Formats: sequence, C-alpha cells, structure tokens
Amino acid sequence: MKILVVDDFSTMRRIVRNLLVELGFSNPLIQEADDGNNALAMLKSNPFDMVVTDWNMPNMTGIELLQAIRAEPKLKGMPVLMVTAENNREQIIAAAQAGVNGYIVKPFTAVTLKEKLDKIFERLAASGASA
Amino acid sequence: MNAIMSTMVNETLPPEVVELLNSTDGAAFEQALDSMVRQREQHLFRALGVLARDLHGAVCRLGSDLANEGVPESMTDARNYLAEVLDMSSKAAHRSLDFVDRMRPEADALSANAAAVLDHNSNPDDPSAALARQAQVFAGACAEGLNDMVLVQSWQDLAGQRVKKVVAFIESVESSLLELVRLTGALAGREAPVEVAKVSSQDEVDRLLSEFGF
Repeated sequence: MKILVVDDFSTMRRIVRNLLVELGFSNPLIQEADDGNNALAMLKSNPFDMVVTDWNMPNMTGIELLQAIRAEPKLKGMPVLMVTAENNREQIIAAAQAGVNGYIVKPFTAVTLKEKLDKIFERLAASGASA
Repeated sequence: MNAIMSTMVNETLPPEVVELLNSTDGAAFEQALDSMVRQREQHLFRALGVLARDLHGAVCRLGSDLANEGVPESMTDARNYLAEVLDMSSKAAHRSLDFVDRMRPEADALSANAAAVLDHNSNPDDPSAALARQAQVFAGACAEGLNDMVLVQSWQDLAGQRVKKVVAFIESVESSLLELVRLTGALAGREAPVEVAKVSSQDEVDRLLSEFGF
C-alpha cells in the first residue's frame, strides 16, 4: 500500500513512517511531503492509496489539502487520515465536514494509529461492498 | 426653558465656542468646528505616537538590560533564538530516532537467537537456557522501550508548533506597533512612509520611528 505522509516537521514524518512500518506497512512504499502544495503535486503525478497529513503547515495546510483532494475528481475517493495537535471542536468539525476519514490527536501511540487505520479500512470495505 | 439652558451652556463653555454657537455664518461655523476637532485629534494621535515610541523603547531596553543574562536584544534576535531552538530540538530528536533505528534490529536479533536456543534446550535448570530466557525478556523490554522513545520524540513536533506560534505572535506585535506609529504619524500631519509592513530589521524599525519624531 502506497502511503503519503505530509508534515512540515521532519521528526514527525519520520515518527509516523516508523509507526506505519511497525504496523506492517512497507517502508519503501511510504513517501513524504513537507506541505500541502508538494503533497498535492505528488498525489496528482503518482498513484497513492492513502494520505496521512498534519494540519498546521506553511503554504497549504492539511485542511486545505483535504479540500483540494476532495475537489479533484481523480483523487476525491482517497482515504485521508489527519494527525494533528489541533484538538478544538471547530477544527475537528471542519475536518469532518471536509470529508476526513480519520482524525488522530498528537501525541499518539502505534495502537491508536492502528485502531484508526483499521476503522478506515473497515468503512472503505463496507462502502465498497455495498456499492 | 430654552433660555435657561442656553444661559447654563454659555456659562460653562469657553468664550470662543459661545461666539461660534452664536455665529450666523454657516461656512465659518463648519470651518471653526473642523479646526477644533483636528486640533484635538492631533493631540490624541501625538500622544498615541509617543506612547507607541515609549512602548517600543521599553521593549528594546528590556532586551538590552537582560542581554548580559543571555536574553535577546531585539525581536530579530528573539526570532533567531527561537529558530535555533527548533533546529536543536529537531537534531536531538533525529539522533534519538537514529539510535532507535540502530537498536531495534539488535533487539529483534537477540530475541530470535534466544528463541532458537530455547527451541533446542528449554530445560529450566540448564544455565544456557536460563540465560536465553533472560535475553528474550530483555529484548522484549528493549523493543517496548524503543517504541516509547519514538513516541516521546513526537513532543519535539508539538513544542516546535508552539515555538512557531510565538514567532508569529512576536511578528504581529511588532507590525501592529509599527502600524500604530505609521497611523499616528500620518494623522498627526506627517506623511505616511511606504511599505511599512515590510520593515524587518531593528535599524529599519528605529529609523521609521524616528521619522515621525517618536
């Protein structure tokens, strides 16, 4: 599974990558972007199966990236997991309204990440089966 | 009634205002009123300008007073210090993650080797089996500890985000202060400088402030 990890902090990108590998995802298939703009360009030019993104980033924030993904016909079905320090009600609601698939508040453990990912894949499988 | 009020008003108002109120020349009345309002505004804006200048001076003095204790002397310094904090904490986090990357395969190998020994000999009375079991427990504890260590490094990102917010706050305080100086300078009858928002260095800040005599 090709995953794009988007965060302006290289430490966080490395940690998310580390946790994904720990959960059994293939390290070479994980790619990184340091803001929404770069992430969007990568998503448009390469096939990815999932995006894990931060919220607060320069140039293009995570929520703007999410909105751009949902607005792009080729990408709109892409599962997006938001991993962020933003935990206020309004922002969580905004992410839900923009069509986020999962929302994790930092700092988090591999167990939490696994739970959210499992839930995303369960829902996708269910919607795929009913479609 | 009106006559009584008019008398009371006349007694409390300065003579030039009373004269103005009694004037029948509409244009002269407007002009005099404008000039009075302008005069009052200029006092207010000049006072605000002085206040802004004092505030800026106080911020600079606070910096230089504390400079001997290693506190930044200007907002530019403060921003640089914070950028250094971000850089140092990021390097430290990466070094910890490097360590985890090096140690994790070692812990996994130790655990696998111990399991192989125990496959051949699981006799609890045999010292090599006992050592293998101990090694397996240790490798497990290491793996768990390394995972915790990775998790703890994510605080660098959270701390970094707070630092970025403080940098943005410093910048907004500085630009608001300059905007106030520009506004008060312009309203006090001096020409507004161009491109205030782009002023960045301490020298530019001081030059701008002195342009308005603050």
